[in-house]
Amino acid sequence: MFLINCPYCGEREQSEFSCGGEAHISRPKNPPDTSDDQWADYLFMRKNIKGVQFERWNHSSGCRQWFNVVRNTSTDEILGIYNMGEAIPEIDGENPKTPSGEPEIGSGNISTSFKKK
Amino acid sequence: MILNRENAVIELKDQTIKEYGGIEFQEIAFAQKINLRGNSNNKSFMTLQGKLLDAVLPTKSNTYTNNGKIKILWLGPNEWLIVDEDKKNNELFLKLEKSDSHEESAITDVSENRTIIRIRGKKIFNLLAKFLVIDLDKNLSNDSSVVQTLFVKVPIILVRNNSNVVEIDLYVNRSHANYVYNLLVDGTKNLDF
Ligand SMILES: [Zn+2]
Repeated sequence: MFLINCPYCGEREQSEFSCGGEAHISRPKNPPDTSDDQWADYLFMRKNIKGVQFERWNHSSGCRQWFNVVRNTSTDEILGIYNMGEAIPEIDGENPKTPSGEPEIGSGNISTSFKKK
Repeated sequence: MILNRENAVIELKDQTIKEYGGIEFQEIAFAQKINLRGNSNNKSFMTLQGKLLDAVLPTKSNTYTNNGKIKILWLGPNEWLIVDEDKKNNELFLKLEKSDSHEESAITDVSENRTIIRIRGKKIFNLLAKFLVIDLDKNLSNDSSVVQTLFVKVPIILVRNNSNVVEIDLYVNRSHANYVYNLLVDGTKNLDF
């Protein structure tokens, strides 16, 4: 559990919100011209960063508005909140190094993590 | 048309007022409620709706306006809930529907969706604090406060009616009304902590 500062309602409990996954994924401009691989990439492929991740959140049990959150997924520290359509803010800091040398992207388990061709 | 309407909370039939641990409970059933959508940055929409309703649409988050007859609750930057407690029919809705409303707006009659459980008493905050995680002193600080939150996973709206004797209206969907009411009544035990 952690608190999220809704840009409209102020600080509220995380349980009032729902996470809408990775932010800043734009629909290909011309779908007929995209290959199956590109389309699948747009539809399904998401980063799963251990560290600083840009996400969309919705205050579903409050004002029902969408906004962007910069969250460190390993500490749940919220590093920034900004409105939809706004430019990606610059965030300082490095992703934490893990002792076992896990990849920065993936489930944390090398044997099951997705590798692109 | 709905015939033989029944209020939602079984124990609060026929406008009964029940008292537990110094807190009074009453159900305000069948109040007319209208959901209004529109762009608060659009001046013509805001003026038109204001004129039609003879009230100001609140633009400040988590507040409501009250013109003595109706309350208008802020639900989001482009969404409001118009509440008329006296009207047990859809008069206001029909009036809004007939009028030349703004092209970029929508009204929906949501009267049957939620019921209102009115609670009154000194220790209301102690009672609500047992179920809510929000900062009540901050979020329900005065007689224009509205909060949308979760009550043991049930979506609710809290409206503070006045500033001295604390009276709060809890809006909850009808199907969860008894569940919320029973929890509140149970919570009135041991309010001195
Ligand atoms: Zn909100």
